[in-house]
Amino acid sequence: MKMSIKVEDVSKRFITKHSDTETLSKVNIEFKPGEFICILGPSGCGKSTLLNIIAGLEQATAGRVTLNGKQVTGPGPDRVVMFQEAALFPWLNVIDNVEFGMKMAGVEPKMRRERALKYLKMVHLTNFQHAFIHELSGGMRQRVALARALTFDSEVLLMDEPFAALDSQTKMLLQIELQQIWLKTKKTILFVTHNVEEAAILADRVVVMAANPGGIKKEFQIQVARPRQSGDVDLAYLMNNIMQELKTEVEKVAKAEYDNDWDIQKNPILPDINDNLGSGV
Amino acid sequence: MIIWEVAYELGVEYFRLWKAYVFPSPIDVVKTLYGLVNDQTIIIAIIASAKRIVLGYAISVVLGLLVGLTIVKFKWLDENASPLILGLQTLPSICWLPFAILWYGLNESAIMFVIAIGSTFAVAIALEAGIKNINPLYIRAARTMGASGIKIYWNVIIPASLPAIVSGLKQGWSFAWRALMAGEMMSATKGLGQVLMVGRDLADISQVMAVMIVIIVLGVVVDKLIFGQIEQNIRQRWGLDRA
Repeated sequence: MKMSIKVEDVSKRFITKHSDTETLSKVNIEFKPGEFICILGPSGCGKSTLLNIIAGLEQATAGRVTLNGKQVTGPGPDRVVMFQEAALFPWLNVIDNVEFGMKMAGVEPKMRRERALKYLKMVHLTNFQHAFIHELSGGMRQRVALARALTFDSEVLLMDEPFAALDSQTKMLLQIELQQIWLKTKKTILFVTHNVEEAAILADRVVVMAANPGGIKKEFQIQVARPRQSGDVDLAYLMNNIMQELKTEVEKVAKAEYDNDWDIQKNPILPDINDNLGSGV
Repeated sequence: MIIWEVAYELGVEYFRLWKAYVFPSPIDVVKTLYGLVNDQTIIIAIIASAKRIVLGYAISVVLGLLVGLTIVKFKWLDENASPLILGLQTLPSICWLPFAILWYGLNESAIMFVIAIGSTFAVAIALEAGIKNINPLYIRAARTMGASGIKIYWNVIIPASLPAIVSGLKQGWSFAWRALMAGEMMSATKGLGQVLMVGRDLADISQVMAVMIVIIVLGVVVDKLIFGQIEQNIRQRWGLDRA
């Protein structure tokens, strides 16, 4: 049986001495088994908070998250998380890092090694199995983290901007490989990002989040053949639509952060191309 | 050595600025050292001292780690006990000697107590700081991978704070070493500190210097060979030695 995740009326408030922010307000969303969902939103819209609540790392102020009808109360290996930083342990070498989860689960050493190698192979890093973490590049570290996440054989994989800190070439390669791995393993993947292109390339469904308070704004179904790559024409059209939705939210967040006199429309550095079409001819 | 010998020749023999029992010749010191080694005085002393420090240090490490872990585990203890422990650590361990002698009398236990108390708090404080400074991401990641309770301590928290723990152990060692010498000078019947005191009692400056050299050499050897190696190993593993 495949896992389904339901987020029901989830709200989250952060109350500190000086402020009371409602980061998430009554979020309702359901993830179908085997679906690849990207959650897209401006920074500060609560998309990472939502992921952390689903992961069980943070508690919702109200509402609940259920996995196959059972309420989520804490973190667990049935919902593995990949973070923006690889979060690998520097005191272990690559293969031991990949084995970590299985060791926690009490899998016997021989079996552990076998499975770790299988997933290291999937991310093409078997040559580096005995290397230490500091010897790896950022992209390699995320590959190791991905291999480690895959060893759990969980149906659900939560990814919190895992490629955000990588250079664009590495990012492109990993996006292609993640699609291949997803097609192979058919996991339910929840992928948080602020990058419109990344969301359009990866997802079956892109969920755009609103900011202040955070909530679901609009969903886009993306039915483009895989594997997809950046520069796809069909994607460009969808990306444009998504961008329109996102822009108002980005502006909203920026307005809350900057001084009152800031305006996205005022004093644009580049003139709008529609204003002076053909004037230079 | 040459400068020392020249200073001796000029200061003691030629100008007669110092008395010979104030400023020894390096040759005399080496001779005395050789004599001490030959009649096995120094060997017996080293073995006696080593026994004490190994035992005392082991006690302090176990105690220190326990105290450190307990403090980290319970927040209210941390808030209340930390200033006290910091205060106790600033107290030089030799100040515990009168206390120890009243408790245990003039014997091994008193010296052991002084050694243990001298380094326990250094170890405890280092462990506490090490655990508090762990990157929280490690713990979050470990929790999502199903680690909890004792497993998270053993597999994540302890290894993650290992660099801090080792430097704490190293500091604890040097405290223990000092405490040992102080304790032996005051109340021992054998050991390096006692041989040093005998040198003083006999006004034999050569013996005093010889024992001082032995103490320095032993301290450096343990520091470099044991702790230096461990630290080097960890730094390499973590990739810290490549700035």
